[in-house]
Amino acid sequence: MVRFENVGMRYSAGPEVLRDVTFELVSGSFTFLTGLSGAGKTTLLKLIDIAEPPSRGLITLFGCELATAKRTIFPALRRRIGVVFQDFHLLDHLSAFDNVALPLRIAGRREGEYSHDVEELLTWVGLGDRMTAKPPTLSGGEQQRVAIARAVVARPDLLIADEPTGSVDSEIGARLIRLFAELNRLGTTVLIATHDRTLVERTRACEMRLVDGRLVELRAARP
Amino acid sequence: MSPGDRFMPREKGAAPLDVVIAVMAFLAVLALGASLVAERTAVGWRAGLAGKLTVQILPPAQGAVNEGLQRETDAALDVLRATEGIAHAEPLSEEEKLKLVQPWLGQGNLVADLPLPQLIDAEITPGADLDLAQLAQRLKQAAPDSVLDDHSHWIARLRELARSVLWTAYGVLLLIAVATAAAVSFATRAGLRAHHEMVALLHQMGAHSGFIARAFEWHYFRSALLAAAVGAGLALIMFLAAGGLQFAGVEAVPFLPPLALKPAELPWLLAVPAAIGVIALVTARLSVLAVLRTIY
Repeated sequence: MVRFENVGMRYSAGPEVLRDVTFELVSGSFTFLTGLSGAGKTTLLKLIDIAEPPSRGLITLFGCELATAKRTIFPALRRRIGVVFQDFHLLDHLSAFDNVALPLRIAGRREGEYSHDVEELLTWVGLGDRMTAKPPTLSGGEQQRVAIARAVVARPDLLIADEPTGSVDSEIGARLIRLFAELNRLGTTVLIATHDRTLVERTRACEMRLVDGRLVELRAARP
Repeated sequence: MSPGDRFMPREKGAAPLDVVIAVMAFLAVLALGASLVAERTAVGWRAGLAGKLTVQILPPAQGAVNEGLQRETDAALDVLRATEGIAHAEPLSEEEKLKLVQPWLGQGNLVADLPLPQLIDAEITPGADLDLAQLAQRLKQAAPDSVLDDHSHWIARLRELARSVLWTAYGVLLLIAVATAAAVSFATRAGLRAHHEMVALLHQMGAHSGFIARAFEWHYFRSALLAAAVGAGLALIMFLAAGGLQFAGVEAVPFLPPLALKPAELPWLLAVPAAIGVIALVTARLSVLAVLRTIY
């Protein structure tokens, strides 16, 4: 599904943010990416989402080696990935409903086809009565749930999330993790970046730990 | 429903840009309308003079002036009416002659004391092959003080004048069109800079360049079209008012043709807002695609 081989990344002439990162996410896996702030988690997620090219090394996504692939296929690859951004990246002038429906519209689906799915999903994340609300009127936790609903609504092959439970209370957090687990059960590969150890310990998922841009630990899923 | 209907925000602070587009559309419609009026007037002038002859009988230097004038006028009329190819020949009445000199000499007694030449208007039968040199010679024999004027000199001068007026109008129109295109392009690019994050987000979510460009281009097309329609509408009202003045017999600017447009010319003015809308659409598309090329 995702393979990194000796990937290094630096922004402009700055220091390397990621160094010699090598790992593989197999299809259907559920993995946590952990590490302190500044360890390189967000950068690694950006590389997976084809938001930035690596400075060195090879990245293979859905069997496609990005360095040699034509850029014209990138949009199709990106549509197979659901992303929960750390700062949500919601469009303030669109309602919660329209924000969540964005990936479906990009995929060319009509409103009549997806409105039921979007409403059901928003209800599931506890925003059934906030569908028409615009992001600036939502709390941080509500915005995060909208961002998560947007990431999962198109049933992506790969879901990557950057601190997805950072702005919600523990009950909502547990509910969101259950949502991710349910998606994973249906076949979506999940990679969640977090520094919340409790969240990691509570589940039996794989863990990749980054320290100063290096992948120092790879823990397989516990039985 | 276009993608832009849902993606683009109702922009705040875009009013000054809309005003710029409306003003440019107003000026462009004025320039276009003026060039249409200039063209029509030039054609009218030429058509008014073409196919007409004027015979001028100068007052004789010796003898009785009035009798001499009348004799030569009758002789010239006989020649003209007997000439094949002359459809109609008629001397101007005293009132008509006085009316012609009135703008220069006024209505005082001065005019009454001056011996005015007699003028004969003649119309050439359309398509007739008239030998003007021979006619002039025959007129000279019958009326020695006659001068034949076929207006060719004036027609040539008018043709030159009309050409100058037309090219000037086209030049002004071109300048305004370039300025309008630049203003619309600037307005569109300024708007797009404010939406850079949205472009980047849609791109990151896997939207094709064409999808993102469509979301923006239709939005800017409609905004520019609306603003340009307001500007063009105001200019149109001005032309209609000028038409109303002409209909009421009021001469807004002496000696200049009225700025009124014919109904058949009005559709040309609709091309201005449409062209401005297309400029905005193309600019928006090219700008979005340029931004997308800079994103990985």
